[in-house]
Order: sequence, then C-alpha cells, then structure tokens
Amino acid sequence: MRGYFLFAAKRFLQLAVVVFAGTSAAFLVAHFSPISPVETIIGRVSGQSSFSPTAVESLRATLTELFGYDQPLWQQYLNFWGRFIQGDLGPSLIAFPTPAMELVMRALPWTVGLLTVAIVISWILGNLLGGLAGYFQDNRILKSIGVVAIGIQPIPYYIIAFLLVILFGYVWPVMPISGGFAMSVRPAWSVDFVLSVLWHSLLPAFSLVVAGIGTWFFGMRALVSNIVTEDYVTYADLAGVDRRTVVGGYVMRNALVPQLTALAMALGGIFSGTIITEQVFNYPGLGSLLIRAVNGGDSGLVLAVSCVAVIAVASAIFIIDLLHPLLDPRVRVG
Amino acid sequence: MSDPILTVEGLKAYYRVGQFGKNLDIRAVDDVTMQIERGEIYGIAGESSSGKTSLIKVLAAAIRPPLQVIDGSVRYDFGGRIIDPTKASKAELAEIRWKHLSYIMQGSMSVLNPVRRIEQTFRDFAQRPLGLSGAAFRARVEEHLDHLKLPTSVLRSYPHELSGGMRQRVTIGLATVCRPEFMIADEPTTALDVVVQKEVLSLLRTVQQEMGASIIFVTHDMSVHANMTDRIGIVYAGRLVEEGPTRTLFTQPKHPYTAHLVASLPMIGDTRPRPALEGRPPSLADPPKGCRFHPRCPMATEICSREVPPLESVGDRHRSACWHADEVRPLVEPAFDKAAGGVRA
Repeated sequence: MRGYFLFAAKRFLQLAVVVFAGTSAAFLVAHFSPISPVETIIGRVSGQSSFSPTAVESLRATLTELFGYDQPLWQQYLNFWGRFIQGDLGPSLIAFPTPAMELVMRALPWTVGLLTVAIVISWILGNLLGGLAGYFQDNRILKSIGVVAIGIQPIPYYIIAFLLVILFGYVWPVMPISGGFAMSVRPAWSVDFVLSVLWHSLLPAFSLVVAGIGTWFFGMRALVSNIVTEDYVTYADLAGVDRRTVVGGYVMRNALVPQLTALAMALGGIFSGTIITEQVFNYPGLGSLLIRAVNGGDSGLVLAVSCVAVIAVASAIFIIDLLHPLLDPRVRVG
Repeated sequence: MSDPILTVEGLKAYYRVGQFGKNLDIRAVDDVTMQIERGEIYGIAGESSSGKTSLIKVLAAAIRPPLQVIDGSVRYDFGGRIIDPTKASKAELAEIRWKHLSYIMQGSMSVLNPVRRIEQTFRDFAQRPLGLSGAAFRARVEEHLDHLKLPTSVLRSYPHELSGGMRQRVTIGLATVCRPEFMIADEPTTALDVVVQKEVLSLLRTVQQEMGASIIFVTHDMSVHANMTDRIGIVYAGRLVEEGPTRTLFTQPKHPYTAHLVASLPMIGDTRPRPALEGRPPSLADPPKGCRFHPRCPMATEICSREVPPLESVGDRHRSACWHADEVRPLVEPAFDKAAGGVRA
C-alpha cells in the first residue's frame, strides 16, 4: 500500500508538470496572437460614436493597464500564474467585462453533461454489443449489427448531426433543433426546466452516440475475438464453467482494461467541447464559446478554454493511471 | 477382469474444410479403437500433427468445427453412468465436466485467467461440481492444496505471481479437487525444465494413485512415458499403430515405427548414432494407401502399400498394426529401466 501512495505521488508530480507546460504553451500562443484586445475594444467603442483623440488615448492607457500589457512579458507571465491559481483568467472581450472564467464555467455544465452522457452510453452499448459479437460469432443479429455499424462508421459525425436536424427538424418536425432548453422555460431547478434540457439534448446526444458507438463496437469485437482463443477461455469451457461466468469474468472482463483507458481519454477530451455538434444544434457549450472567442479575437477566453481542457485531459489520464493497477493486477506499481 | 472406464470404437474424426468449392477431409483421427481401464495411466505417443490432440479433443468433448466426428463411438462409464461425449447434450456434458472428467492442459502459463485470483478460479471451476459454498468450499480447497503440499497462500495470488512449476501444480490441484474418475493430461510438463517436470509428474502420479483415477497422458516425450504410464498407444498419421504395456513396448516393440521411436531416446553414456527415419509424416488430407507408415518404413513390402494392416493381438494386452509384426526387433538394446529411472515407484 505504501508503494501505491509513492506511485500516486509520482504520477501527481507528472500531472503538475504536464499542466504547467500545457498552460504555459497556451499562454504564449494567446500572447503572440496578432489581435490586440485593447485595439479591438477601442475599435468597437469608437465605432459607435465619436470620441476625442485624448479620450481614446486615455481609454487605451486604461485598457493596457487593465490587461497588464504595459509590463514586460515575464512580469505578465508571473501575473498570469498568480491569477490562474485563484481561478481568474482576466476579463473576457466578447462579453466585456465578464471574467473569462465565468463564461467558461457557464458553458461547462452544458458540454460536460451532454458529452458525458453521450460517451458513457455509446461506450456501454458499443462494448456490450461488440463483446457479444466477438464471443457469439455466428449469431445472426449481432452479425447484422456489425454490418450496420460498418456502414455508419465512416460517416463523419457532423453529417449525422445534419441528417438528424433535417429529419427531425424539417421533414418530420417533432424535436427541438436549437438551443439547450425551450425559450419559454426559466432556467431553475424545476421539473419543467430539467425535462426541457433533456428533451433538447436528445438529438445532439443521439448524433454523438451514433457516431461514437462504432469505434467501441469494433474495438471490443476485435479484442474479444482475440481473447476467446486464449487458453484460459478454452480451459474454462472445458471445465464446464458457467457460460455467463465465462463471458463476463473471462472474456469481457479481460478485454475491458484497454477500453477503460480509452474511455478516460474520451472523457478527458470532453472539455475541449464538440465544436461542430454544438454549432449544428446551437448548443450553449464550450465548443460554441470557443468559436465565438476565436471569431471575436478574444485571446483571454481562448486561453481560459485551453487551460480547462489541458487540466481536464491531464486529470483524466492521472485518474486512469491510478486505477490501472487495480484493474489489471499484472500492471506493476512502481 | 476388464472394467473399462472408457471404450472407443472405430472412432473417425475429420477436419472438414471447404476449399475453392471442394470439400477436403483431414483425417486426424481414423478408425481408432481402444479401451482404458479404471485406475490406469494410458499414454498416447506420436509426433507432432499425428492426430494426438484431435483425439484428445474428441475424448474431452471439445469438438468445434471444422473438426467433426464422422463415425464410431466413445463411451465413458462413470460408476454406472454411461455417457457418449460425442452425442451428449450440452447440459449432460456440463454435469460430468470436472466432477467426473477433468483436464490438464498444455501451456501452464496461459490456462489461468490473468486477472483472477487463484481462489476465484477454483470457485469458478469447482464450486458447482462440489456443491459446496463459502467457508465449506474454501476449507475443502485448502485441505486439498495442503494435501498436495502446496501453500494455501497461492489462493490469494494472481497467476503471474507464481512460477511456471507452481502454476502447473496449481493446475493439477484445480483438476483434481473434485476427485474426478478420469483425467486427460495433454503435454502437462512440456514447457517445464526437467527438475520441475519430475516434481510435477510425481505429484500427478501420487494424486492419481490415491484417487484411483484413470489418466490419458499425452506427450511426445518417450522418457516421460517410461516414467508415468502403464500402457502406451502409439499414434501415427491419425491411426493407432501399436498398443501395449509400457515395458513391453520399450523392450519388444512390434511395429517398426515404435521401434524407431523408442530407439530415438538418448541414454547417458551411450554415444552410438541413432537410426533416424527418412521423410516426414504424411499429409492427413491425402494419406498414403495401405499402411500409412509404408513410405518411410525400412521393412515395407508390396502388401503394405496395398492393404491397411489390422490392429491385431501380438501378445498379452499387446496389439500391433503391421503386416510384419513378427519380424520387428528392437533397434537398440532395451534400456527401459534406465529411461524409467525417476518417478516410477
């Protein structure tokens, strides 16, 4: 057990290094962006009415100080870390002066909720069906599921999203195709609101499940059809071990280890959002936010979204590293 | 006096494969007839791809396409309960597996599930046939391991934490915990070094003698046969070519193939060159006419290439399928006692 804590501590150090390097890179990329937030704000403000040159000049000085651009780069970098640790990444531009972090936090639950549900559903369904298809290789139904999956697999997920919008939004308009909830409902913890959110998330989630299920299905089927030829499966069959135990405890269980790792990676990737799906369904998540930030030249907001993504992916890998020795006893802790 | 636990009659099992619209039969087991007595260790010897494993698969009821039983019958008699594994239903088979018929497989490295503790594997394999649960089951398993002089701490281990020899001993423990009447051991010691091999063999022999179980013991290693088996059946190209008590087969082989097989055994201090056989074993898809050994046989005559020699009695419990059985002489002086120096009590 002591060895395990040592191992966890080492991995945590690794996590810290990765987060540090990742956010630093994101900071530099945002800093060297050719679009200056100061000039963008001035352009926006002075475009609407006429200002005297001195007023513009003092506005520029104020903004430069606010964003900290009057300081040398290393000072800005240190300030960035100082604020970053407190969870503050400066004001956003597209919704000035709302803090960038607040925008991210507002968008985060939508994306995380939608993607977690979609990924977990497609993971469970894909692995279950793929595992069964790998074990019962002569089963007609499972074979035909395989054929359908092969057909759907190469279709890009945004095409599936568009198809769903056209089918259920125009041809047979029964589903909402835009937004996270109905306009008529107030965002609150009420039954109406929750139902509306679920109803609105159905199509985007379905498009993600349909697009994601094939990868899990084929991965699991390949893993399982390798494992059924392993000696320990043959031996358990020869010993008359209960069929369900063999399928569950010998075949699926052993194929699941790499699939769980892949699940963690997929879940970590959630935080960068699904830009296209969210755009198609006009969903108020991180992906839409990122698009608006890029279009509005809001480097601070892009930085905030990037940092959240870096931390999320690194943490997901960290958690899976911690779980791995528990899932597969052959993975040595050390 | 004969009280066979297993009777095989005229068994034919082929791999039936369709290739380019043509059906191809690979005759892995062709017209095998034999009996195994209660409490006997029956060895099956033969080179690779002679059909040993296919025969074992049929006997263990592990027949999967393309392997099919074409003809003949297999009959187990478990204390009055008669069952033919080639015809029995899955439910019937599940009932006899491990309780009456267990199996020790080749490759001790990979027969245990790597992500299950040994105790869990014992539970999966033996709980149903033993009809025990919880503490009673655990006590029975511990008692059994104790008896085999295995530390009970192995139950808490994962397979990868055990050495190869220990793993094979655990497998023997697993195969014997339900005290089956019949065991099939397929090359159980092939991957082990000779020291561990000797320990594993004596363990298996001790358990077998205590339980009075019968074992079919498959290996291509003739010195292991000399050590372990009461009788040997020699398989060549899917056919049983000679069968007899182990000592008789080593000292007075009545089939030229057996004579060569026995002569190939190296002896300490003996530096004479061994007579080797020309050629390779025939293809089982298109075996030679007549005696399948005739293209490689130094004694072959015209009748050998024309007619299949019947497996006929040539002595006490000794049968040989050779037209010239009377003329076969041992190729080297019999050295059975040297070969069987180790385990045999």
